[in-house]
Amino acid sequence: MPFDPTDIVLSLVKIAVVLGVLLSVTPIMVWVERRGSALIQDRPGPNRVGPMGLFQSLADALKFIMKEDIIPAGAHKWIYTLAPAFGLLPALTAIAVVPWGRPFVLREREIFGRTVFEGGRWFHPIIADVSVGILVVFALASIGVYGIVAAGWASNNKYSMLGAIRASAQMISYELSLTLAALSVLLAAGSLRLTDIVWQQSGRFLLFDAIPLPAWNVFSPALWLAFIVFVVSAFAETNRLPFDFAEAEAELVAGYHTEYSSMKFALFFMAEYMAMATMSALIVTLFLGGWDIPYYQEPPTFAGFLLSALAFVAKVSFVLFVFVWIRWTLPRLKYDLLMRLGWKVFLPLALLNIVIVAAFIAARWL
Amino acid sequence: MLEYAVFFFFATIAVVFALVVILHRNPVVGALSLVASLFSLAVMYVLLDAPFLAALQVIIYAGAIMVLFLFVIMLLNLQHAPEPTTRPIQQFLGYFTSAAFAAAMVYYLSKYALMTAMPESRFTSSARMIGERLFETYIFPFEMVSILLLAAIVGALLLSGRPVGHRARIGEEMK
Amino acid sequence: MIPIGWFLILSAILFAIGVCGVLTRKNGITIFMSIELMINAVNLTFLAYAKQFGQMHGQIFVFFIMAIAAAEAAVGLAIFISLYHHRETIDVDEANLMHW
Repeated sequence: MPFDPTDIVLSLVKIAVVLGVLLSVTPIMVWVERRGSALIQDRPGPNRVGPMGLFQSLADALKFIMKEDIIPAGAHKWIYTLAPAFGLLPALTAIAVVPWGRPFVLREREIFGRTVFEGGRWFHPIIADVSVGILVVFALASIGVYGIVAAGWASNNKYSMLGAIRASAQMISYELSLTLAALSVLLAAGSLRLTDIVWQQSGRFLLFDAIPLPAWNVFSPALWLAFIVFVVSAFAETNRLPFDFAEAEAELVAGYHTEYSSMKFALFFMAEYMAMATMSALIVTLFLGGWDIPYYQEPPTFAGFLLSALAFVAKVSFVLFVFVWIRWTLPRLKYDLLMRLGWKVFLPLALLNIVIVAAFIAARWL
Repeated sequence: MLEYAVFFFFATIAVVFALVVILHRNPVVGALSLVASLFSLAVMYVLLDAPFLAALQVIIYAGAIMVLFLFVIMLLNLQHAPEPTTRPIQQFLGYFTSAAFAAAMVYYLSKYALMTAMPESRFTSSARMIGERLFETYIFPFEMVSILLLAAIVGALLLSGRPVGHRARIGEEMK
Repeated sequence: MIPIGWFLILSAILFAIGVCGVLTRKNGITIFMSIELMINAVNLTFLAYAKQFGQMHGQIFVFFIMAIAAAEAAVGLAIFISLYHHRETIDVDEANLMHW
């Protein structure tokens, strides 16, 4: 493999951009969550720190850092300390295979007396364009369970333990319908590579030979069912209300992170929001056309890239807002209902959708 | 060079955590170490041009099998169970034979196995190629595996479920 | 590319560790985990040879091994749960009802 410094610099730039955005998701989302809940519940919400309480997250972060870091006497020290890292790892890494903008050509230019990008070269706004992209996301998501299980077990606390067992049972159950719903999309796209899936959704199609719609999977007659299954399973997978049995503060104190304090707790908090952001990015990529701008063909230039990246961020923000919106609208389900819903409703629906997509492909409608 | 660095780093991780699995008294620690070991094996699969199987390795082993192990350990509360005693002679024989086996294998492999660089692969194994093989050449084993999995589900349910009538008995006791 | 020998050596070491676990431990779950380790060592060998000879068959085989390992784990753990319900232990020496 020839060693190309330009490649490495480009990769580092991409990683820096994505990590920067991802890490700033948590403070922004905390603010959105608190102000949003206040809006929905008709109360002012945090409004003391900065204009409209914008710096509330900074104050929270400061508070987290200042708090005492407690390790309970009965806890398993190593695992107790490592668990937040286990939880954070998948949330940070899964985003690497998601494309976040239109590829564009970097023109040849002189930087520091060296010619870079000889003859122009393509810039692909994705950290790692692996051929099994979607599987990598699911693989990393399945690692996420360990953060919760390890935290719950190592805390040596029955509420933590119950929270951990509930959360992992829930995540495993819904991972199935999540994966099967994504499988429909893969079947339609004929590729596991997320960039292919996005390209396949750019352009438009005619619904009933009359209405031109963007060719997003969510509008496709074969895939809207998968979209519903995927979104609901995504809520369960990220442990958000109405499926937040991992925490269920009214029943389990705080679930698996009952014993955690200070920055370790903050890490769990960050992991939760980052997992949410990754899941939203995945929903957008698989069903909402990724960085595609409807009814507009972006040019393969830097401006086109910026526009498409902005479109991607806008879509992800919208999905994130829906996450908040639903959290403060719906009450928590009963646990047995949740499991029944997962296994008896969404799993069959996802399987049914695969059959539908296969039929569409066989009839050459896709 | 980078490949060698990656290989030896993850090989060390795999071996060290594998040792933790068999030496540590606490099964929860053992299970978590096994996850780490299997994860580094997935990295090896990527080095061997099998990204699809690497992803499957993490999804199936880390995501499903090991979670099942952890579940069973936690549900049975085995982490506090005292480790059964073993006869010293059994311990000694076990360690001795496996060490001798490892030494012999390593000796002969380093002597006779190919130590020249591997050929650049003639295929980039994609999910598509594996799928085509599975549904053409290997369709019969594939169907057999699906039947086996079904049988395993039924068997696991039957074995781990409470005995028949258990609920009815509890109901009567409640009355 | 890294020579196949290194992969085979790693696989042999992991397999030996698995053997050691099966021979020296009495905790059923740990023995089971050692078996998983041995299965994975074999998988590594399969993939190394698949790459060396440029053939897909090794990869297909690993695919099947993974599927069967999943089935084996489910049934095996169910047996241990059942054993624990009846005997309150998972010491493999205690499961000696059919021993003569």
